[in-house]
Amino acid sequence: MNREVEVIDVEPDGEIVAENHTRERALSVPEQSGAAASDQRTVLTYVVLPFAFLAVTLLGGLRLASADNAFIFIKPALICLVFASVLMLILVRSRLIEIGGWFCEEFSTLKNAANGAVLLTLFAASAQLFNSLLPEKGLPFWVVGFCFTWTLWNDLCAEFDAKRLLRSLGALFAMAFVTKYLVLANLTAPDSSGWLKRIFDNPAKEAFTWLLDLPQYSAGTGYIQFFAAIIYLLGLYLTPRTTQK
Amino acid sequence: MKTRYIHISAILITLAGFTLITFLYWTEPKSLAEVSTKGSVAIGTYTVDQAAFDQGLASFRKDQFLDARVDFNRADPEKRDAATQFYIAYSYYRQGWGRLSSDDTLFEPGLEAANLVMTIDPNYRSSDSTLTMKTPAELKNELEEGLKITPSDFNPMKLTRERK
Repeated sequence: MNREVEVIDVEPDGEIVAENHTRERALSVPEQSGAAASDQRTVLTYVVLPFAFLAVTLLGGLRLASADNAFIFIKPALICLVFASVLMLILVRSRLIEIGGWFCEEFSTLKNAANGAVLLTLFAASAQLFNSLLPEKGLPFWVVGFCFTWTLWNDLCAEFDAKRLLRSLGALFAMAFVTKYLVLANLTAPDSSGWLKRIFDNPAKEAFTWLLDLPQYSAGTGYIQFFAAIIYLLGLYLTPRTTQK
Repeated sequence: MKTRYIHISAILITLAGFTLITFLYWTEPKSLAEVSTKGSVAIGTYTVDQAAFDQGLASFRKDQFLDARVDFNRADPEKRDAATQFYIAYSYYRQGWGRLSSDDTLFEPGLEAANLVMTIDPNYRSSDSTLTMKTPAELKNELEEGLKITPSDFNPMKLTRERK
């Protein structure tokens, strides 16, 4: 783009000097960098975020069997969908996501559909993250489930800004992760030998496993869920408040 | 890149991703190898591993039933082929058959396999001339009779019967 502009300069003595300059470089560089940034934002929102949230959706229910590391896919419990719905409400209330900036009459149908798809992946990832962090059954399921309910209910009524909400969610998920994959996992007896030998080897762990009805998974499960939680929080951090330019 | 194409790609990525995830959670494969097997079932390209089937058949004919079942299971991991499942059921029958009494621990899985054959293909009929029983119904009847205790079990003439 070769545009000629007239630059009007006022000299200290009051004389007006007009010059024609070709400002191709000066004008095009910021325009190009602005367009590039906009392109990057678009790719981030519509390509990177769906990938990240879909990865969390895939990994959130994945466990590895204690005996042979076989895949175990655990479908989310109904309560996980309820938690995910409440979390979406909280994200909107704290203005981390502005509904008007994601769905708008001014947008094309395609853009509205694409925005819907991205938010759908966010919802699915949220449900699967709760599936990942909530113990599968027994007393721990009820205790951790109650803690989630309590925290989300409080968050729903509290006044948040986006930054504080992210911190709060990070802390909540970190606590749940430590509870399930460090504390409870270390209380679970390994499923490697006969039950009599296990009782003699690890009576306390065996008692906790039986009392708390803890499932026995391979250590790799914790690593997978750690990355799932990190990817989710990173995706949430990168989610734009609005897709309007 | 045009924004329009990026929007389309977002929709496609989401659709493809959810399809893959639904497939995995529905079929619950236990390993990466199973993912491909179940994938081939889903898209209708699943076939029996003929080499493993032939090995199983050779072992079956040599009365090496344990080996035969390992090969048959390798040939048809998804348990979708009536012929393979029929041979598995037959191998349980032949291994569990006894002149005085049959082995219930082998006849029970044999009966399950025979029922599976009838589910896969109700009209299945074996073309193997070395087998006396050609249909899963005959095999099922024989296995069920073996599992029952009836007065005929105490008939001394039973000692003269032959394995089918």
